[in-house]
Amino acid sequence: MSEAKPLPKFAVLQLSGCAGCEVSLINATEWVDNYQLVYMPLVVSTTAVPDDTEILLVSGGVRNDEDIYNLRKAAAKVDRVIAVGTCAISGGVSNLGDRDDVRNIFLAQSTRHHLPHLLPKSHPIDAFVDVDLYLPGCPPTPELFMAALTDPEGYEAGSIVCVECGRKKLKDMRPTHLVGFQQGEVLPDICLINQGYLCVGSSTRGGCRAICTKPGHPCVGCRGPSNAYIEKESSVWFDRVQQVFERMTDIPPEEIKEALHSPQLSLFLFQFTDYSEGGRPPRPKEKVL
Amino acid sequence: MTTLRFPLSRIEGHARVEMEVQDGEVVSAQFQAIEMRGFRYFVQGTPAEQMPVIVPRICGVCSTAHHVASVKALENALEVEPPKLANEIRELLLLGQLIQNQATSLFIFTMPDRVGASSIFHMEDSEANPEQQLSLAQRALKVRQIGTKLITLAGGQFIHPVKAIIGGVTSGIKAEDAKQMLKELQDTITTACELFDEYWDMSLAMKERIGTWGDDEPACYIASTGVNRPEFNSSVIRVLGPNGNEKATFPPESFRDFLDYQTTDYSFAGKSSFEGMVLRANSLARMNLTRSMGTPCADYYLERLTTEFGKPAHPILLFDLCRGIELVYAFERAIEMLSEDLDYEDTSVPYSLRDGEGYGLVEAPRGPLIHHYTIENGLIADAEFIIPTVHNMGAIERALKVAGERYITPQGINLELEKAVGRVVRAFDPCIACATQ
Repeated sequence: MSEAKPLPKFAVLQLSGCAGCEVSLINATEWVDNYQLVYMPLVVSTTAVPDDTEILLVSGGVRNDEDIYNLRKAAAKVDRVIAVGTCAISGGVSNLGDRDDVRNIFLAQSTRHHLPHLLPKSHPIDAFVDVDLYLPGCPPTPELFMAALTDPEGYEAGSIVCVECGRKKLKDMRPTHLVGFQQGEVLPDICLINQGYLCVGSSTRGGCRAICTKPGHPCVGCRGPSNAYIEKESSVWFDRVQQVFERMTDIPPEEIKEALHSPQLSLFLFQFTDYSEGGRPPRPKEKVL
Repeated sequence: MTTLRFPLSRIEGHARVEMEVQDGEVVSAQFQAIEMRGFRYFVQGTPAEQMPVIVPRICGVCSTAHHVASVKALENALEVEPPKLANEIRELLLLGQLIQNQATSLFIFTMPDRVGASSIFHMEDSEANPEQQLSLAQRALKVRQIGTKLITLAGGQFIHPVKAIIGGVTSGIKAEDAKQMLKELQDTITTACELFDEYWDMSLAMKERIGTWGDDEPACYIASTGVNRPEFNSSVIRVLGPNGNEKATFPPESFRDFLDYQTTDYSFAGKSSFEGMVLRANSLARMNLTRSMGTPCADYYLERLTTEFGKPAHPILLFDLCRGIELVYAFERAIEMLSEDLDYEDTSVPYSLRDGEGYGLVEAPRGPLIHHYTIENGLIADAEFIIPTVHNMGAIERALKVAGERYITPQGINLELEKAVGRVVRAFDPCIACATQ
């Protein structure tokens, strides 16, 4: 019997984030027999990424000087870097702190004794290292993790969340105003837009299997823009959402516009603005799962 | 003066321990939380209704607790009472969180310490035989996966749930989905008990080897669980004195009257105390503050624990055993709940947004969690998160000092110290992302 080929090694580096991506990864069990997990402080006691590691998954944003150091050191050792989750890709939820008043609070903390120095804002990892694959989602589902580790090209996802959601879009149910972000009874099986919810699933990339919209919560866009918009300015994405509402509802366009641009939905839409703004080139769609 | 620095792994988030040693004496033991994201600041100005979706992102491990605490804080501010069904779904959510969290802490974080491995996924550096290790990892993941499935069923999204809304939940649980989940729980509870039995034996063996259960001096205990049986969708916080007498009972809005809070320059997380005494939150606190589990298997384990260690029990490694008891409880309770109808009408009541201030409390796996919001013009004017790990900070440092004194002598430092530091910290299952937000 020939000797079995050693399993490919992968490492998981967690920068400033919530560990939700890691938790999602350990919800997938298939990798246990196919990969050797060599570094992941959440579940393994090791001090550094070994030299012969093939794949590095990075979650979390770059929030302090230790994050920069750890990221550069780890990325230099591996063949392939995968940015996992919205924090690593675009700064994530923490990017909501990219405002003058909040930056000042961080700066005030940055001189503290012994502690890593906080940067004025949270950065995506590709501001510091080259990324081979982006895996957006907050967090990406276990299924997406497995696809990223095994066969990114072969992963079949609906182009947008609507395709995977399956709620029926009705022609004759036209709301005249948005209902509160979470308010009201949710009818089963009927499109949330028909019910007046600000759901952005119509231009958000699929692959999540619509786990929020199916049980009745509007899509907040955590997977980012679909391939049709990912290489364009974020305003194109916003316009597209606007058009969908104009076609399907009688809600005044200003109301939608305000809701999209105001802090409403800022959680995820805001962060993707740096796909095309803020001096960073858009991520090519071939590199986004 | 020598400074010993210990990096930490197999805990949630970024932290390290520093001990200062002079002539073989431990001068100080510090637990340093070294990350901060600043939720308290950047949620200011956010639409209040969005909070239940934003705050789970404080922590991917405790997200469910934040989700429910957030909704409760908003309901408190808006004076809304959710219907019975909503409370049931929220309890199920918290049970799913409990399964996932306790299974992770037991089998992924702390079990490797008991078999001398670096992780449950690594057999080669383990003292146990490889085949047994592999099956351990697979069984452990299977048990914790049930928690995730339960969260998904009750909460929609699986890490950052979405189904709890102000005034209720977006939907109930369909009979066929409940039936499927029930079957999976029933199929897996035996595995959970087997793993816990093995864990218990490994813990006893480890105690034999190292000769201590860690810091076993009395402390105060804080929890918001029920008096007679566990409660996670809770409403009142209780504190137990070191002798086992109840010292205080208070609603979440009164926490400042009972708890002292202190910040330090070496950590992004502060620490709280009660009347100058060390506080402990988490599983052991709940066990000391609740009469029974109210489900048969969990009660069997609780009785075993009480017979062996008394009540209140103090040794810190018992936190781990208590987590196992709660894991079994969460399975049994979820089975109980899913056997009832969870798809009747009235998933939520209407509300109107207005200015106000509110407090939301849940018993998270790590202890009582409070969200406190001030709403102005529909936006969050101020938000405060009172995190259970912060209650444990003083207790962690005291236990680290005990470990330091045990393994550091004028003759030298016993190499067991590094392992002891890991064991001590993991016993408290601290969550750094939460503690610093």
